[in-house]
Amino acid sequence: MGVVMPLKAETAQARTHQVVNEDSTDIALFVRSSQDDMIGWNRQRIVDALLRETFIDRDTAEKISRDIEVTIQAGKVKTITGPLIREMVNAKLLEMGLEEARRMHTRLGVPLYDVDQLLVQHNKENANVPHGPEATNLTLAEGIKKEYALLHVFTPDVADAHLSGDLHLHDLGFIDRPYCSGQSLEYIKKFGLNLPHALSMAKPAKHAEVLLAHMVKFAASLQSHFAGAIGWDAINLFYAPYLEELSDDGVKQLAQMMIYEFSQQAVARGGQAIFSDVNIYWEVPKHFVDVPAIGPGGVYTGKTYGEYEKQAQRFAWALFEVYKEGDAAGRPFFFPKPLVHITEKFFKTDGHMDFLHHICEVASVKGNTYFVFDRGDTAKISECCRLSFKLEASDLEDAKQPWKMRYSALQNITINLPRLAFQAQGDDTKLFLLLTEKLQLAAKAHGQKKKFIERLMSLGKGGPLSLLAMDLDGEPYLKLHRCSYLIGMVGLNELIRVHLGQELHESDESIKFGLKVIAHMNIVCSKLAEAMDMKFVLEQTPAESTAFRFAKLDLAHFNTEAEKVVQGNRGKGEVYYSNSTLFNVGANMSPISRVEKEGLFHPLIEAGSITHIWLGEAQPDKEALAGFVINVFKHTQNDQIAFSPEFTACIACGKTSRGLSESCPYCQSKDVDGITRITGYFTKISSWNKGKLGELHDRYRNIDRFNN
Amino acid sequence: MSHFQAASGSCVCLPPIKGFLETSFIDWPGKLCAILFVGGCNFRCPFCHNHPLVLAPEGMETIDFEEIVSRLAARKKWLAGVCISGGEPTLSPGLPTMIARLKAEGWAIKLDTNGSRPEVLAQLLADNLLDMVAMDVKAVLIQDKYERCTGCPVDLGAIQKSIDLLTHSGIAHEFRMTVAPGLHTEEEIAAWVRQFDRSRSRLALQNFNPRTTLDALFEKEQGFSPEIFSRISAMVA
Repeated sequence: MGVVMPLKAETAQARTHQVVNEDSTDIALFVRSSQDDMIGWNRQRIVDALLRETFIDRDTAEKISRDIEVTIQAGKVKTITGPLIREMVNAKLLEMGLEEARRMHTRLGVPLYDVDQLLVQHNKENANVPHGPEATNLTLAEGIKKEYALLHVFTPDVADAHLSGDLHLHDLGFIDRPYCSGQSLEYIKKFGLNLPHALSMAKPAKHAEVLLAHMVKFAASLQSHFAGAIGWDAINLFYAPYLEELSDDGVKQLAQMMIYEFSQQAVARGGQAIFSDVNIYWEVPKHFVDVPAIGPGGVYTGKTYGEYEKQAQRFAWALFEVYKEGDAAGRPFFFPKPLVHITEKFFKTDGHMDFLHHICEVASVKGNTYFVFDRGDTAKISECCRLSFKLEASDLEDAKQPWKMRYSALQNITINLPRLAFQAQGDDTKLFLLLTEKLQLAAKAHGQKKKFIERLMSLGKGGPLSLLAMDLDGEPYLKLHRCSYLIGMVGLNELIRVHLGQELHESDESIKFGLKVIAHMNIVCSKLAEAMDMKFVLEQTPAESTAFRFAKLDLAHFNTEAEKVVQGNRGKGEVYYSNSTLFNVGANMSPISRVEKEGLFHPLIEAGSITHIWLGEAQPDKEALAGFVINVFKHTQNDQIAFSPEFTACIACGKTSRGLSESCPYCQSKDVDGITRITGYFTKISSWNKGKLGELHDRYRNIDRFNN
Repeated sequence: MSHFQAASGSCVCLPPIKGFLETSFIDWPGKLCAILFVGGCNFRCPFCHNHPLVLAPEGMETIDFEEIVSRLAARKKWLAGVCISGGEPTLSPGLPTMIARLKAEGWAIKLDTNGSRPEVLAQLLADNLLDMVAMDVKAVLIQDKYERCTGCPVDLGAIQKSIDLLTHSGIAHEFRMTVAPGLHTEEEIAAWVRQFDRSRSRLALQNFNPRTTLDALFEKEQGFSPEIFSRISAMVA
């Protein structure tokens, strides 16, 4: 039953006052009402809304309300609803040329047809979102928040640039949250699980299992306050003080619990698994060696972390034993993603070759391992598909009290590089000018998001971001002044192809020019960072759907130019641009050339890069992979690599086999799904968007030996 | 085509290289290696995946050997050696010359062979030109069973000679067999395993994979089911 509108007229001021004090639940009821006659009709409500929400004058508002009343009285409308009246008023505003007022008075929502489609069909923008009521809630909410962001948080020039595909503002549906978060387990070890508005408060954990429970719940709370990845620093080291009492079996059990907890969390926000990363070290990182260790009950154990090397190694080993086994059906675990840091100290630590073989075996058998290369004195915490935060002097100072270590990127914006080349028409000066303009626009957009988050954060513990305002260690959990702002790129390869006529892998000249483009982005970012006092850093954005979206938009708006360079299968609509600075995924390049050449770009991209080596069916020896990994560390500038095997998971018999097959080799059923890495994480191929399907088909798997 | 001046002064044609992969993770156990594919083969194994090399190598472009040598020189730090595969490399009179040239560049050499030319193998071993050999022993050494797998007549005496040569060579080597239910019974596979001295030789079994095979009819064949294959693999574990 509809809600009858109140008959009583109110003054605009009183009404405004009332709305401000109403909570959002009442507002939701207010917008829908249904009557088949004029009972409940009150023209004054239109006037009130216009005066409250826009800048138009009272007389105009009165005139509009009377015009609408006439239309309704003419009897053409049988059912009057709040949204319908609002649309009629909007049409009137447009008719009168009051565009700005219409924008302010607009209504955010979704057409009935779209909702129907959505509830039934699968949304594939993010392969990590399954199909279900929680997922559709997420999509609907995201849809409205996205519209809100484009209308209300960003200025029209920024919004237009996003909508037209000049750049892509990631996670607009999560406009009221920062992008991602990397942190230390020490925070919950020291303070327990003490979250604002929680129903109960827990003291610091006394047992390893309880610590794990705290970690998982904390990660879930963080997931509901950040758009993307939740990363954990040196996880095996910070667990170490809890492991001394445990047998090897006990440690393995704990490792298994942790991996299952994170990989089965697809019951939380939007049915979406927490995009979680765990950073793992074989050695005790230099900056933690002399740090006093926190143990059970949140108290210092009297030892330093340097003394926990063996316990930390035991846990690291056990985690990879679990990864090697995979889940109950032998599939690789999708989360948490294990990031192993390969450092100078790694090679000086006892047992490192055994451990390297161990993690390479996992890379070969299941593919989970990410190899993160920290050369020289670099120290990093990594998360997301490739994002990493280099630790600076102030961070290393924080390392003495590791619970203070937390890193966040507030937002991520990707620039459509091929389009710049279409517009520059071969003119270098114009190309770099356009690029600079887009970077300035991205910086402006970051400033606008920052202002919005600042506004939410200023409401403190009573506001919507109370978790991020929590200040158990004297500082808000989200340290806004230290946040990064990410700027990424899609399609460097296609930009080069348009501008020079050759792709990156086709000549050294292409690579040189590509480096110039990225170096320019890097320098402009530094200049903007100084000018605006915000940390702008380049990242290879994962661009899971952006690489598809840009290609589609360019085919629509720059068809003649774009159709020559988009990758994939245009007939099937499976089009894409190469991600970030990656070379053509299908180029016949040896893995050595790929890590070397893609690695040339990595030092310019401070917030993280990765090279993927697609293994396909091949299951290399761990020794061969280990040798390769050591050479990547020693002889290239590459930041991070991962090897990606492919699997077929049978829905009929539940078994998992190697390679992508059309039918299950165990039971011959055709009811199978493929599994491999989409951009930086493993998922089922049935959930992929069309652009990534095109890419999957093209991927070079190092097996084409001759054309047969 | 590349030529190389042999010691005798006559011009020896180098084996025609029809395929080249700069980095292979899987062709030399435990090592990263480059791999060359030589065109031409004296066998017609129905399950062969490299059949253009076998049936119509003339139609494939020959890759310049010197170009490969110079490309490989830049990869010294990365690669443990060069694997020479085929086709059947021992059919090419220029093989020793090619290997000598690679050896002079400092490369370790692995040879993939079907063992049908023991005299070539013996000479290569005697000249210290090989660091590892992988030999396909396609079935138990029984004439009809073996020939079913090779698709042509085979001199089993030659195969046996090659097996003996390798077993006593003192260099790393592997005997391997691609198995399929249409070609091998589990008992035969067990017998195949028994013929070798496990303390000297490494053994490997590969399950047949129905991709593009030489004999189009064979594409309809299946490998062993994963359960059975894992039981079979346990024989060589």
